[in-house]
Amino acid sequence: MQPGWLARHGLTVPVAILMLVLFLLVPLLPGEYWTQVATEILILGLFAMSFNLLYGYMGQISFGHAAFFGVGAYASAMLFTRLKTAGGEIGMLDFFLSLAAGPPVAAVAALIVGFFCVRLTGIYFAMLSLAFGELLFYIVFSWYSFTKGDDGIQGLLPPSFFQDAVNFYYLTLAIVTLALLAMWRITESPFGYIMRTLRDNQRRAAFLGINVRLHMLINFVIAGGFAGLAGALWGPFSRSVNPGLLGWQESGIAVFMTLIGGAGSIVGPMLGSVIYTMLQAVVKMYTVYWPLTIGTIILLIVLFLPGGVLGLVEKRLKARRDGDAGNREA
Amino acid sequence: MDIGPYVLQLFSGLSRAMVLFLLSAGLSLIFGVMNILNFAHATLWLLSGYLTFSIFTFLSEQLGASPWLLLPAIVGATALMALIGFALERFLIRRTYERDLPEQLLLTFALVLIIGDLIKLVWGVENRRINLGVQPVEMFDTLINPYHFVIVGSGVAVAAGLWFFLHRTRLGKIVRAAVYNRNMVSALGIPIPLIYGLVFAAGVGLAGLAGGVFLPLLPMALGVDHDVIVQCFAVVVIGGFGSMLGTFVASIIVGVVYAFSILFWPDGALAMIFLIVIVVLIWRPWGLFGTELRF
Repeated sequence: MQPGWLARHGLTVPVAILMLVLFLLVPLLPGEYWTQVATEILILGLFAMSFNLLYGYMGQISFGHAAFFGVGAYASAMLFTRLKTAGGEIGMLDFFLSLAAGPPVAAVAALIVGFFCVRLTGIYFAMLSLAFGELLFYIVFSWYSFTKGDDGIQGLLPPSFFQDAVNFYYLTLAIVTLALLAMWRITESPFGYIMRTLRDNQRRAAFLGINVRLHMLINFVIAGGFAGLAGALWGPFSRSVNPGLLGWQESGIAVFMTLIGGAGSIVGPMLGSVIYTMLQAVVKMYTVYWPLTIGTIILLIVLFLPGGVLGLVEKRLKARRDGDAGNREA
Repeated sequence: MDIGPYVLQLFSGLSRAMVLFLLSAGLSLIFGVMNILNFAHATLWLLSGYLTFSIFTFLSEQLGASPWLLLPAIVGATALMALIGFALERFLIRRTYERDLPEQLLLTFALVLIIGDLIKLVWGVENRRINLGVQPVEMFDTLINPYHFVIVGSGVAVAAGLWFFLHRTRLGKIVRAAVYNRNMVSALGIPIPLIYGLVFAAGVGLAGLAGGVFLPLLPMALGVDHDVIVQCFAVVVIGGFGSMLGTFVASIIVGVVYAFSILFWPDGALAMIFLIVIVVLIWRPWGLFGTELRF
């Protein structure tokens, strides 16, 4: 391996491989519960990773990202409802067709929203993305004739092969792994490094001749598309969609996961999803005060551990390596 | 033409606007001076509502029921909230000044969850409301709750008081200067950390006042803060961060637009508000009365 590979890529590959192996083994656990939890971890982790394309790689925080998650979920759900038979069954091909509807529709929504958002940065970007997210939420909520509003869309039952939790889980794992590889490829390309430049010094990027707004918009659309993919998977997983999937509280979940796992790497948000979802499952068994728990954890992480878990581990490893090098030189 | 319902909506909109103003004034001040967007502002407002309720109930038990007890209850709650605000700034918010914006936002976001759940822990899940037993007054062929006048009156009074404070007192001028250029203010020997603490406390105190004032009109319930905070953001964005006049005008716009949208498109009233926010952010991101320099 080339020298400096660890410095450039950090722990990403070992962590990713470790997580893939563990994910493959989950269905060996007794019962369906852990398989279901793992499916949820994967879908929300994909959502969080798409958010991180904007946050960790481009340096902008969007509080409206769940709008694309929700739009993807609704697009997929609405096509599903039209394709299924009167008895509520859906054919295999139609099922995959409905899944495929999520990302493009979300990407188009991201194109429209992003066109306005990329004109701003920092707090104004955050507020505009929040405003658009809430606007989309209220449109879905109030357009009863089109989206069934507060009732949501029910009855998203996958074909019988995928009604088995394990089969659906492996499908999700396959899709999420492919998505992760695609995102990895994108972030490790020249485009990805332009993103990092935009994060670190936007003005200098402009001096270098980079079309800042165009690149931000492209990244925004890509991130929206992946969020739409996660949303499309969510519908058949939870058998229904509701307007809450578009709100800022849902956006907050992606932010929390990214923060917990670490925004500095492509797999950080997935790790964050593992920690967040399992923590939620465990805490909710003992107490109803989950918001208090996660709020306190986020508070502590922001104050003391801003790089998340992966950031902490990388720092410790780096310190140990530098310490060893120092000892060797002495 | 029967203008009764329109007058009713106008008053409802104006009193809603006043509550939004009281709440957003604090938010705008905090952001203007300290560059901190306090997500937890509406949650603190909610906390104040519950506190006011408890103080009011306690006083009613000790001294006999009377609507006038609301006054000391509000004063007490406001003072308590200002203290809480000061403590929050001193121990938590202060640590994030050196950090990036996302981390500051996340800190206050976390406070939303923490304080919201603490309210649930202490007061439980039932709504709290106060019934002052005041008779509706007939005006323009429709019945109007006279408490609306109290709210509008207190909103205008606070607006006037804030204006006086910011423009006619030395401390107020320091605060305005800090909105413009805090480094210069610090260089002139004024202790910025103390100013920050006072401003945050004042902002939270205003939210506290808003909570107490609104209690007789609307039941305080868990989750109301989530709906209200985005409306506050709308007001502050439309009016301009750091400008009290902007906050006042924007509150009236948002309050009245919301109230009238309810008549024509009930579910989409908030969508209208966000449409206005989007237009403002695209056309004039620093708001109607904000300063372009700060942008």
